[in-house]
Amino acid sequence: MEKEKSANKWKWKRPLACSAAVLVLVSILLGAYLWQLAAVIDKRFSARRWSIPSTVYSDSTILFPGQTVNPNTFQDKLGRLAYSTVSTEPRRKGEMRWQGESLEIYLHDLDMPSKHQKGYPVRIELQDSRIESIARIDTGEVLPVLEIEPEEIMLLFGAEQEQRELVSIREVPAHLKHAVIAAEDSRFHQHHGFDPRGILRALYTNLRHGEIRQGGSTLTQQLVKNYFLTPDRTWRRKIKEFLMAVTLEFLYDKDEILEIYLNEIYLGQKGSIAVCGVGEASRFYFGKSVERLSIAEAAAIAGLIKGPNRYSPYEDIERCRERRDWVIREIHGNGSITREECDAALAAPLEPAGYATYGKKAPYFIDYLIGQLPVFYSSEALASRGLSLFTTLDTQVQAAAEQALENGLALLEKTHPALTSRGADRKLQGAVVVMQPKTGYILAMVGGRDYSVSQFNRITQAKRQPGSAFKPFVYLTGLDRFTPSSLLSNEPRSYEIDGTTWQPKNSNPVAEHGLTLRKALAMSDNLATVDLAMKTGLLRIMNTAMTFRFSTPLNPRPSLALGAFEVIPLEMARAFCTFAAEGVQPHPLSMRAVVDEKGNMLEQQHLKIDRLISPGKAFIMNTLLCSVVTEGTARSLLSRGISFPAAGKTGTTNDTRDAWFVGYTPDILALVWVGFDNGDSIFAGGSAAALPIWADLMKSLPQYTSGGWFRQPPDVVTRTICRESGLLAVTDACPETMEEFFLSKNVPVDFCRFHQTIKTDRENGGM
Amino acid sequence: MKGNIQPFRQLCSLFLIWLVMTGCAVPGRPPVTALPAEAVPSDTEQLPARPGDPREQASIQLTEQGRMFLETGRVDEALGLFERALNISPANGYNYFYLSEACILKKDFYQAREWNELAAIHLRENRVWMEKILEQKKRIWRWVK
Repeated sequence: MEKEKSANKWKWKRPLACSAAVLVLVSILLGAYLWQLAAVIDKRFSARRWSIPSTVYSDSTILFPGQTVNPNTFQDKLGRLAYSTVSTEPRRKGEMRWQGESLEIYLHDLDMPSKHQKGYPVRIELQDSRIESIARIDTGEVLPVLEIEPEEIMLLFGAEQEQRELVSIREVPAHLKHAVIAAEDSRFHQHHGFDPRGILRALYTNLRHGEIRQGGSTLTQQLVKNYFLTPDRTWRRKIKEFLMAVTLEFLYDKDEILEIYLNEIYLGQKGSIAVCGVGEASRFYFGKSVERLSIAEAAAIAGLIKGPNRYSPYEDIERCRERRDWVIREIHGNGSITREECDAALAAPLEPAGYATYGKKAPYFIDYLIGQLPVFYSSEALASRGLSLFTTLDTQVQAAAEQALENGLALLEKTHPALTSRGADRKLQGAVVVMQPKTGYILAMVGGRDYSVSQFNRITQAKRQPGSAFKPFVYLTGLDRFTPSSLLSNEPRSYEIDGTTWQPKNSNPVAEHGLTLRKALAMSDNLATVDLAMKTGLLRIMNTAMTFRFSTPLNPRPSLALGAFEVIPLEMARAFCTFAAEGVQPHPLSMRAVVDEKGNMLEQQHLKIDRLISPGKAFIMNTLLCSVVTEGTARSLLSRGISFPAAGKTGTTNDTRDAWFVGYTPDILALVWVGFDNGDSIFAGGSAAALPIWADLMKSLPQYTSGGWFRQPPDVVTRTICRESGLLAVTDACPETMEEFFLSKNVPVDFCRFHQTIKTDRENGGM
Repeated sequence: MKGNIQPFRQLCSLFLIWLVMTGCAVPGRPPVTALPAEAVPSDTEQLPARPGDPREQASIQLTEQGRMFLETGRVDEALGLFERALNISPANGYNYFYLSEACILKKDFYQAREWNELAAIHLRENRVWMEKILEQKKRIWRWVK
């Protein structure tokens, strides 16, 4: 009996025990699974939540009274910096107003490495494109210098191709939070990640309308789905979504979840790049920061979540308005806004900012920049770490260089129609680099005519013969023995090279048998240059070229003097900078600083210079190259509107395969190259093909041309010489004299014997 | 069986504690690093500019600001401003002097010597500044030796 009782007891207890065991086992497994999910969530959220592309910025713009600006390019720049014109006095950051020649701007905040400044309103008074004064509108303070924020020139995206501007929940206005909650999950603050009532309501709504009108997913579930799961519609994924949503609600508070959601959510497409998060969407759709969104705008953005491309104002503004109005009514229905606010929002016009894709403003420059970055900035790091790269690029100069090159090449094609008879991928090419000679800052780089057709950077990757553009380095080497007034032979001569005879010729006949060094360089005389090179020594010229950091191979042949070897255009520009920088050579600089997303400086680069030649030699080279502009092969610059002092050298290679012009002032240097990639003739030399582009470019950059000239250094002296003989002038004897510059260690001591003799004869005859 | 339930409770408790702790362990936003405020022009001796040369005047303004940074030991910031000043006006001789000072502080005497030489070219007519430049040159040479 006792045994039977015990057996009966076990009879009902056994299934219970089994059930309990199963329950325990399931609980343990579920607990372990939840544990694992919690670990996954925590790991992901405590690390980087999103890959943020790095941003490349131009340099900031400095304005000061007395500076001449190009009103068109300046206005374009302000437009690119998202300054919008208003009819009243600017009261908010990003607003500006023109009043005649007075420009009022409410500046954006300036966030630069080592400089942070809140935006303030300023008035810039202009007169005939010249800045007369700059003053703060709020305090009346007169500003001697004004710095305008750098321009975003490119975002370095990774494989995700997403862009988001992260916003803190504190920055998000209450009406945007209400709008998103009203549109997507009105019981967000009541549920714990999963909302059965919401599901039933969605089911009822959808059944009533006979179509899918509402989803039952909570914001938390949507976040989990977007962040951790695939979009597959399977039960397994749905269960995982549910468990993760509950776990997420357990781990994080509502504000944190909402913040992550608002930054995560996909809100449209900007070209090939996904617009994610309300911060980026505010900029994309309404051109403003999220804090400045109105109720109507917030509702429009919240309305996009359901179908970002379907409800995009750029796709169908009416559909977007209907959706926006529905969201506004929902917010009002939830009691988050008053009737008046609701009516005002419904009546507000829907005015999107205007569709614009993410630009790549200076693609060749960006490629060069990335190549210059230290190796630890991998493409993955650049695409995900949200770094800010501050560069030396001046977007006004870049735009002007691109425009000048395109205009110049088009004009050349029009003049020589034969240049256009090739395919699109074999078009006439050109390249421009603009530098500041003293600092080595690269202000602009145009490596080709069209980056979308050819990414080959002709400034940094091409190797082309410089032709006569190399001659200044021959003359520089000669300055140790010769002076600007030394006479060189212009007689035709033959040279034996490797058993063959080489006879240089002048492209344009020059009558004189002897030319001064100054005139020979100005006229780009080949015979006189080879004469100088042979007298100076080819090895010495090669040494000069190597000192100037030409990295391409050189041969000590007479043709070296005429630039019959290849150079990289950027190295050519850098070499010319040495003359413009009083004998010191700057290292080309494209990057100034790298800052992480918290504002910490990771990398900073400063200018670096090396003295290559004495200030005296540099000064004399500047005066010689100035003669090229005033009386030589570049004298057409004056008729092209270049009235300020400048120096430069043209270059043309055999069969007009390459056309060069390198020109500079103390403030700016630009190199222009024109040619075909395959070396076909362009039917024009440096002064016809490259020089007009340089002139066009310089005319559009008044802010960089001060009109100043180089200061004469102490190791240079001036003497009056006879133009004819190149010797010291004899007073009242030499008919044509000129002031010439000499290195103090190499001053001529001989007076003009020819005119001295005539004078003596005259005096004797007179006696 | 009872004996088996105790570990389960312990496990659940541990699980809950762990969940709570991981929730608490989520790092907050780190404070934003304060960036330096704009340099205030000092009331010390102002650098003279050639009258009527606005470019040089603007350049000298930036040199002044850079000098303030130098005085507070913020050499990189100072260098940034001197670079800007140089870009605006390569004729601003004072800027070369301070570029040299910044390089001395960074113990880059080779660069300091180059800037010192340029300062001497541009300020050679200014006797007072030439004395400073000479003194700077001596300092550089002392370091080099």
